[in-house]
Amino acid sequence: MQRRAFIITVLAGMLATGAGVLAQEGHPLKGSWIGTWTGNTVHGNDVLLVLTWDGKAITGTINPGTDNMAIKNASLNPDGWAVHLEADAKDKSGATITYVIDGKIENLAFHNRTITGTWKSQRGTGAFKIGRQ
Amino acid sequence: MTAGVRTIVGLVCAAWLLLSASGSAHHAIGAKFDDTKATTINGVVTLVDWTNPHVHVFVNVKDAKGQIVNWAVELESTVDLQRSGWSKDTVQTGDAVTVQGIVARNGTRQVYGRSVVLSKTGRQVLNVVPPVFKTPLQPRPTPKWPDGLPRLGQLPGGVGGYWGYPSSTVLAENGVNAPMDEYGQLKNVADASKVAPMQPWALALYENRQRRFLQDDPTYLNCKPPGGVRQFQQPYGIQFVEDRERQRIFVLLGGGNHNYRIVYMDGRSQTGQVGGDDDNPLYYGRSVGRWDNGTLVVDTRGFNEDFWFTNGGLPHTDQLHLVERFTRTDFDTLKYEVTVEDRGAYTRPWSSGWTLRWVGGEELPTYFCQDNRP
Repeated sequence: MQRRAFIITVLAGMLATGAGVLAQEGHPLKGSWIGTWTGNTVHGNDVLLVLTWDGKAITGTINPGTDNMAIKNASLNPDGWAVHLEADAKDKSGATITYVIDGKIENLAFHNRTITGTWKSQRGTGAFKIGRQ
Repeated sequence: MTAGVRTIVGLVCAAWLLLSASGSAHHAIGAKFDDTKATTINGVVTLVDWTNPHVHVFVNVKDAKGQIVNWAVELESTVDLQRSGWSKDTVQTGDAVTVQGIVARNGTRQVYGRSVVLSKTGRQVLNVVPPVFKTPLQPRPTPKWPDGLPRLGQLPGGVGGYWGYPSSTVLAENGVNAPMDEYGQLKNVADASKVAPMQPWALALYENRQRRFLQDDPTYLNCKPPGGVRQFQQPYGIQFVEDRERQRIFVLLGGGNHNYRIVYMDGRSQTGQVGGDDDNPLYYGRSVGRWDNGTLVVDTRGFNEDFWFTNGGLPHTDQLHLVERFTRTDFDTLKYEVTVEDRGAYTRPWSSGWTLRWVGGEELPTYFCQDNRP
């Protein structure tokens, strides 16, 4: 059993090493992103972002189709690939919640790159991590 | 570990070496090999893998501990080697060879062979010999159709030919001095901002691609089409097929995944012209062409973002708009000029250009980047 596990481990590692990857193209933020904003008791742990770039501004929506939070302020600083996103939402009582997300693009070169950082609002704060689909 | 397990692990390792050696498409040499780390190996050939995108010769070499280890020697494509007079039988299993080259960046036993010498004869083999073209004393006139327009493709009488050997294989704005190799790898990444007027994010991304030695190029990684500009800088040329009856020009790609691009000459618009693809951005965009005093002017929009449109990895977005001008200045020369406009990635339109040479009497090389991939 240990032999089999060893061989499988070796094989899996080598296949992973030799596996092809999809490259990054276009603006690094453009695309659909899925992940989590941990500890978000208002809108749940899972989060979906759709972002685009028109040549001047980054726009998009958080949780399109359900919460439909329009991103009102977004920036990407190529020096360190720092991402800043802001969006307003309503809670069940109708009160406005402003989300502020700060993170950093990791694995820039890959199609399935990630943004890792934090989210915060009037109702809490936590870890934020999304991956490009 | 028992002998049985060692055997299995050994076989797995050998298979992995073979896969990783041959599984990547034709690529920038620097993406895989480190030209600052030269090596020389002496050994006996165990296998000649005569396939595209790269020929490999596997060599058993005695290492420092006296153990025999197998190295993969990567060479150019079968097309390049055959053009240079070599065949799959030039080197055979059992031949002793000395290989000089540069080693793989990932530390595996792979070397890009700059020189392979057969020990029994001392002859250098499997090297690429650049073609020699005979330039006529007087430029031959541009061949023309009966209506006076230049012929870009096949000549009267069905004599074949294609355009190849571009005078430049890299894209940079006209007048820029930013030295780079044939794959678009800058000699000095600090020159990146000179190459084209990029927006800050595009410049940073271009620098990132350069610092990674272009290893993320989707044309090489995933066999993606090269797009409008880059197709005229690929290794195996392009061929125009002028379908005058249907008012379109096909641009056939000799290398890459051997695909084609259509230039519509019937005055249609660029949107909604292809049934089913009305809103689907394309690798070659939607190209419409017209003749302007003997120059074919092609206007293209509607590109997707799934490819690099230049060797070297200049970024683009789906706002990319190309205006290309093709002028057959004489029988043997095609002048290519392009204006790049992309408000998503660049701060202003910019232009570049080069020439291609007519390769008469030949059809496009048979080369598919999909060859020998898992």
